[in-house]
Amino acid sequence: MSIHQSLFNYINESSLIIQVTWIMSAFFMVVIIPLTFYFRYLRKHLRKQERTVALYEQKYESYLINYLYSGNEQEIISPEQQVIINQLKRSTSESYKRKILISVLIKLKNEISGEIAESIQTLYFHSGLMQYALNRLNHKKWYVIAKGIRELKQFHIKEAYDQVILHINHPRREVRKEMQLYMVSLFHFEGLKFLELLETPLSEWDQIQLLGVLERLESKNISNIKLWLRSNNKSVVFFALKLAKIYNQFECKEEIINLLNHINKKVRLESIQVLNYLDVIEAKEILKENIEKRTLEEQIAFFKMMENLYEKSDESFIINFIHSEVFEIKVSSLKILKILNKDKFTKLKVEFPDPDFLKIINFLENN
Amino acid sequence: MITQIIIDIIQYLFFIYSICAILSYLVLATISAIETIEYKHKNSFVNYKEIMSSTISPSISIIAPAYNESLNIVENVRSLLSNHYVNYDVIIINDGSKDDSLEKLITVYNLVPVDYLMNEQIVTQPLRKGIYKSTNPAFEKLIVVDKENGGKSDALNMGLNISNSKYVACIDVDCLLLEDSLQKMIKPFLEITDKKVIAAGGVIRISNSCIVKDGKLHDVNFPKKLIEQGQILEYIRAFLLGRMAWSRLNGLLVISGAFGLFDKKIAIQVGGYDKNTVGEDMELVVRMRGYMEEQNKKYKVAYIPDPLCWTEAPDNYKIFISQRNRWTRGTIETLKKHRKIGFNPKYKTLGVLSYPYWFFFERMAPVVEFVGILYFAILVISNKIRWDYAFSFIVLAYLFTVFFSLIALITEELTYHQYKKKGTGFRLLLIAFLEPLVNHPFILYAAIRGNIDYYFNKKKKWGEMTRKGMTKA
Repeated sequence: MSIHQSLFNYINESSLIIQVTWIMSAFFMVVIIPLTFYFRYLRKHLRKQERTVALYEQKYESYLINYLYSGNEQEIISPEQQVIINQLKRSTSESYKRKILISVLIKLKNEISGEIAESIQTLYFHSGLMQYALNRLNHKKWYVIAKGIRELKQFHIKEAYDQVILHINHPRREVRKEMQLYMVSLFHFEGLKFLELLETPLSEWDQIQLLGVLERLESKNISNIKLWLRSNNKSVVFFALKLAKIYNQFECKEEIINLLNHINKKVRLESIQVLNYLDVIEAKEILKENIEKRTLEEQIAFFKMMENLYEKSDESFIINFIHSEVFEIKVSSLKILKILNKDKFTKLKVEFPDPDFLKIINFLENN
Repeated sequence: MITQIIIDIIQYLFFIYSICAILSYLVLATISAIETIEYKHKNSFVNYKEIMSSTISPSISIIAPAYNESLNIVENVRSLLSNHYVNYDVIIINDGSKDDSLEKLITVYNLVPVDYLMNEQIVTQPLRKGIYKSTNPAFEKLIVVDKENGGKSDALNMGLNISNSKYVACIDVDCLLLEDSLQKMIKPFLEITDKKVIAAGGVIRISNSCIVKDGKLHDVNFPKKLIEQGQILEYIRAFLLGRMAWSRLNGLLVISGAFGLFDKKIAIQVGGYDKNTVGEDMELVVRMRGYMEEQNKKYKVAYIPDPLCWTEAPDNYKIFISQRNRWTRGTIETLKKHRKIGFNPKYKTLGVLSYPYWFFFERMAPVVEFVGILYFAILVISNKIRWDYAFSFIVLAYLFTVFFSLIALITEELTYHQYKKKGTGFRLLLIAFLEPLVNHPFILYAAIRGNIDYYFNKKKKWGEMTRKGMTKA
């Protein structure tokens, strides 16, 4: 009897446990061998790929430098430049090479400015790369669309506006984020008009990035944000509140005051903070009327506002909160009292010898 | 006859347990692959530089407890201060160190005592010499707190009291954070709009043999000692194939104490770190999750697979066993303390999936393995052993471990490809085949010792970790 036959007989005659265990072992054994070879191949392949990328990068960089120096003032594209464009066009048909070429172009574009940067843009257009990016916008996969929009943004292709805006309420937040960044990077404050059409949430991450782009702009002519402060999309309201704070939109104070009664507690909280920043004293009086009915966070924010907007007449109100159980409210009240009535503040030391209370008094006295 | 029936039943129980363990690992690996691909797509075009320069990005406090860290404290603090995130501070809690850590910090960073009004929301050991800040504007982000010794949890709780930030990153002081680590960790907190992100954990990588220059990771090397290599493989397996899947299932129970970012308000609301456990990192996450479930709030514990934090791992078996012993006790303590969550549908994924998995395949795995070895020994002594049965089990266990390690290594190559140097590939492969033999027996021993210590040696707390410091360029 052959070994093969005896092994087969052994398995056949074994119990179910042993059969299953050996079958699984055989399976793993069979899989481990190709996995080991694949691992070796993969490492080699990755190293080779790194070398190839570096090689192509070098090649494209030299093409691009030649391209930039072959231009003349008479023609948009000189004959020498056309030759280079034709050479690059051949590379763009392969997605692998196209990817490298685009990364080199972006790197170069970020390092230069003025006419040379415009020249790169011309190259991007005439080499057919722009068409590839536009085609990506109709792709089924979300990440292909997002990358397409990003590329169009990086090369300042304003003409793609109509196709990009279509993705305003795309189910994937990454696509929406790229659409938003495209709008603001290329159309600046005007680009923010997408907020009027936005039905999906604008995350804090998105907001920070948009504000980052706006911060870098030379022009600070902000659009009218009143409409966004009245938006049904609460994240748009949040964003508008941030704009109001950063760009000192005092003329929107009525709209922001109205938000003090917004259904969403975070909007109410943010509104208090912005009104505090804008020194809107009317807001203080409105909040004083029903402060105890508000959430704890709103109360703390209100007392921070009081620290900034206190008046002599507030003393009787403040005195009610110096023993508040909320640490922040207690500290804010005592801080204000110290300014409004130093004698009364000093006497508290004798009147209330509680060590924790004294710790706060002593700290405020010295700072 | 009866003996044979008992033997058969036991064999079937071991068999069912093993099959369930293998299947669970395979399912987790598959889910991890899906999540990793998704993560890579999502982050392939994120520009983290944009967020780090934004002044409206939320504030983060890095809290780092230090106990007798004099050897490396100055360098470690320098590394923490070199993060690229714009809105953060570093709170070093000197937890009653008996060495000259504080004096070194005072001298190097020009520290002076300051008056600091602290809201003591969590009770901790009192301050010793007080709170220090630097007179040098270059170190304005640094706060050093000198307090009486109370252990790691107590020190972290002091940090929670001191911090004025919305988020706190709790880390081990000797950890090396990459410069963009905070941007990457904060992203899920700011990005997810339909759930509240309560905590985020990152991947921990082993820094043994790596070169550090000016507090930054300069060169990644693969260590020479088998014990260190084995741990590298183990970490890759756990972080890339395990936690990634649990993150997708929103069932992550543990965030490594070496580096985790928390919503400070929730961490304080649940009472901060538990001082009575050695597994304070896992315990806090379970408690925060339990709290959110009880409040019926939608939440997520996020996970970032990028290698953001590098830490020194034990390079000898004594410290290795002591560390794993502590991990075992921490797991037992946490699962026991929160047993009401286990198998309780009220806690959804946490109760019916995460907890049972941790109970059966993390907490019970070494116990089942040990019982299996005992059972094997009894059968050998009583001459009732079926050698083919025993052999088939050992072969299956070994091959599956190697298979799983290879999958982890391939995932690592396809994603982060950290060990690029020529020759390392062969050593990685070799350790995949050797690890079940060189590290696993010690892990099993440490886990059994952990169980024994938990039940019979309640006084045992933290073991000692002798720091060598990272290799400097």
